[in-house]
Amino acid sequence: MARKSKLAHKDSAAEQAESEAVLTRRTLFLGAGGLAMFGVLGARLYDLQVRKAENYIALSENNRFNYNIILPSRGRILDRYSEPLAVNEPNYRVVLIPERSHDIDNVLKHVGEVIELDPKNLKRIHQDIKNNPRFVPITIQDNIDWKAFAALNMRMHDLPGIVPEVAEGRAYPNEGIFAHTLGYIGRAGEKDVADDKDPLLRQPTFRIGKTGVEAAVEKQLRGASGKLKVEVNAVGRIVREWPDPKEAATPGDDVYLTLDAQLQKFSADQFQDDSGGISVIDCMTGELRTLLSMPSFDGNLFVNGLTQADMDRMNSDPKRPQFNKVIGGGYPPASTFKMAVMLAALESGLINPNKPVFCVGKMRLGNRNFHCWKRQGHGAMNMRDGLKHSCDSYFYEISQIIGIDRIADMARRLGLGQTYDIGISGSNSGIVPDGAWKQARLGSGWRMGDTLNASIGQGFVLATPLQLSVMAARLANAQLALEPSLIIGQGIPSFGALDIDPANLAFVREAMHAVCEEPGGTAYRYDSLKLGGIEMAGKTGTGQVRGISASERASGVRKNNVVPWELRDHSIFVGFAPYEKPRFAVATIVEHGGSGAGRAADITRNVLSEALRRDGMGPKPQKEAAAL
Amino acid sequence: MVGLLPIDTTNLSLRAKLYELNWLLPVLIAIIGAVGVAMIFAATDGVWTQGAAQHAIRIGLAGVLLLVIALIDIKVWYTLSYPAYFGALILLIGVEFMGVSVNGSQRWLDLGIMRIQPSEIMKLAIVMALARYYHDLSRWRVSHISGLTGALLLIAVPMVLILHQPDLGTTLLLGATGVAIVFLAGVSWRVIGFASLIMAVGLPIFFRFGLKEYQRDRIWTFLDPSRDPSGASYHITQSKIALGSGGISGKGFMHGTQRQGDYVPENRTDFVFTVIGEEFGLIGSLMTIALYIAVIGLCIYLAMKCKSSFAKLLILGLTTTFTLYIFINLGMVMGLLPVVGVPLPLISYGGTVVMAVMAGFGLILSAHLHRNSELPRSRL
Repeated sequence: MARKSKLAHKDSAAEQAESEAVLTRRTLFLGAGGLAMFGVLGARLYDLQVRKAENYIALSENNRFNYNIILPSRGRILDRYSEPLAVNEPNYRVVLIPERSHDIDNVLKHVGEVIELDPKNLKRIHQDIKNNPRFVPITIQDNIDWKAFAALNMRMHDLPGIVPEVAEGRAYPNEGIFAHTLGYIGRAGEKDVADDKDPLLRQPTFRIGKTGVEAAVEKQLRGASGKLKVEVNAVGRIVREWPDPKEAATPGDDVYLTLDAQLQKFSADQFQDDSGGISVIDCMTGELRTLLSMPSFDGNLFVNGLTQADMDRMNSDPKRPQFNKVIGGGYPPASTFKMAVMLAALESGLINPNKPVFCVGKMRLGNRNFHCWKRQGHGAMNMRDGLKHSCDSYFYEISQIIGIDRIADMARRLGLGQTYDIGISGSNSGIVPDGAWKQARLGSGWRMGDTLNASIGQGFVLATPLQLSVMAARLANAQLALEPSLIIGQGIPSFGALDIDPANLAFVREAMHAVCEEPGGTAYRYDSLKLGGIEMAGKTGTGQVRGISASERASGVRKNNVVPWELRDHSIFVGFAPYEKPRFAVATIVEHGGSGAGRAADITRNVLSEALRRDGMGPKPQKEAAAL
Repeated sequence: MVGLLPIDTTNLSLRAKLYELNWLLPVLIAIIGAVGVAMIFAATDGVWTQGAAQHAIRIGLAGVLLLVIALIDIKVWYTLSYPAYFGALILLIGVEFMGVSVNGSQRWLDLGIMRIQPSEIMKLAIVMALARYYHDLSRWRVSHISGLTGALLLIAVPMVLILHQPDLGTTLLLGATGVAIVFLAGVSWRVIGFASLIMAVGLPIFFRFGLKEYQRDRIWTFLDPSRDPSGASYHITQSKIALGSGGISGKGFMHGTQRQGDYVPENRTDFVFTVIGEEFGLIGSLMTIALYIAVIGLCIYLAMKCKSSFAKLLILGLTTTFTLYIFINLGMVMGLLPVVGVPLPLISYGGTVVMAVMAGFGLILSAHLHRNSELPRSRL
């Protein structure tokens, strides 16, 4: 090889020429390769920007736009005369947009000078700031009053990042006397979201009905969400809102209740500080005019979450304000149960209404004494007088003859021992006891003593004020097995026939009339309704909540006003009016209110009277009269 | 000038040199730089101070650097070839021991008054060194084991150092540039075939043992974007959406919705081409590419005008680097190549790259300006 010699020499001219030629060729080669590569890039661009452009344009639109949900206005809840019971009011609140604020602590300090920010709330605010992107508004305080809101607005220039907002919030006028019925609204829980796929539920400021009517007719009240097209960036910040297409939200429908707000208010006033419940029912339609549990609570407290202090206060109150007693409270109906016993006796044909019973104040059964409320006894009683005077002995006597099964059957036919679908939950079925019930429940056999206790509505018998009002309405109506309704527009109910001999019903009604309108009746008052001769019928009940020992009986039963409140008797009254052509039936229970002839009878009389007056009977309602 | 007698530009006056300089290249560069300023301006939502102004200033300053380098005699650069290479090598070793870490890779050297990226210097220096090497190398050695070993060492040593930083993009760029120069120098097809064979065997091994986890990840994700829907493939997907939604004519300057929504990360730097594609569509994209092709074509033309191998290889080597930058960047942005973090020269925001690229063009212009200089040949 000649290489050795080349080592010492520079390349020859020929070799240099060869080198140059190679370089030129290879440059062209690489240049061509480069052009080919650019060709590939160009083809790729054509592919992306021409062939698949539509696809990518769609993807970029998808990136770009979000549809924000516009919350619908919740439907109102109104009474039968369109008086608002639940409405939407402006909810003033302040939010903080962290990215607009350079010194959040300082801003919060200044806000704290206007509205009180407790440490718990401050902690929550700082947590929220940490957990969200800096542009997400953080709620500082909801539901601030107008004065504080105005004050904050005045100081806006000192508070960078603070934004006052007006949203819609639920408000319940009427000081909470509808709270039990209406229920309240709150944030959708995990279960709500699982059961209901409406995306509204996932909106943090959206509220759904949790209890009561708010929950019962949630679908009607809710409405439908609207949509707002917004342009967002990669991290979800809204770049701008697009006016079109903007789908307005469909507000929820208003819901009317059968209730009469004024009558309910009137009823609440009658209770004053007492605990209990009252139900006023239309004797022809079953519509509830009043459904009140006392004391009540302020439903507004629930709208934005109850504070622990409020919760503690409610839970520690012996009068249990949260408890819906009128549909959920089971009370011994006491002597108001006697109508069921009486009707059972008449329908059985075993008892002649003129059957005399001589009351000596007690009756002996086996080795046990069963006492009449009147210690010295009523003397000779027939059935009518037995009810008029509420003679326990008379009912002890006849109940032994007809037996518990007939009594229980009649009680059920009159509406006890069952729940009614009035839309809201929390109804108590009460107890109409019989042999089967006792065997199943207590595992022991029925005894005659149980029958005697049941005959005066004590012992195992329990009923709610609502059930007792249904019973009174059925007695008054005489034709139909009325059922109560609360929400208008749930369909016209068709009631079954009551199927009780009208003559027997008339007999019972007449006795109830005697209770109220005849001297000597347990609830007799001269001109009871003060409606110019319109008369009522009714029955007192005094529900015993404590056992009375033999020794106490011997030394004299203590009066209600000397025993502790929680051991006093329940005051119960059921009635209807007018006696001749019944319009409304009422049941009232005043917990530990003493004798049924007292508080409950007074309240019932006043409420019945007011109900009739508002219905156009007698003189004009007091308010309108005053206005004239 | 073609056809005229060669002019000895060695001893020209400054004025004559300025007259002789190929001004078309700086003009094209200035146009591309202006495109860069406009796109950075758009990418930052029209805020001058977030890069656009800096980019303009840098292009201007680098333009001065370019002129200074261009006017300095090619003999100076010829003489400095090896010292520059070894200087850059020392800096790279310095990075190894005293470098500053940014984003988990150690690429910067803090010199007190400024931070420099030795790998950028090496991109120029390796071309200078290889051009010089082949300028000196006897013809018969080019494909001989002795000549190949020298070239391989010149290329491999900086590659290993840069890969260790780690900077996969620059490593591959450096390697590809080196290989291109070896190819241009005339290595025989036999050697090329043999080397290709070794590569085919060696690449999988390199992939398994020579790459960091995240680098492997990027390549895997490139091959199978569904592996990582929100990470690297999100980047590619959003980039393609930006380009594709631009269509033929684009959404209009400052009207890119992908850009406004910040959907494409790094669209001021490596992904700046998405702004062009989205706001100016296929037309704008192709025009940008045409500008680059014009620059590359002009450089090849300039190389062909030169007499010495050094000047030719210098220009062609630097042009190769420039071209590879463009290929890799555009390939990455269009989803044809993995995301390796290579900027689009002269358009992407970033000071070091602008300086390096402009210095390279300075060398190209200097080589062309002094195209008739007789450069001595050592015997190798």
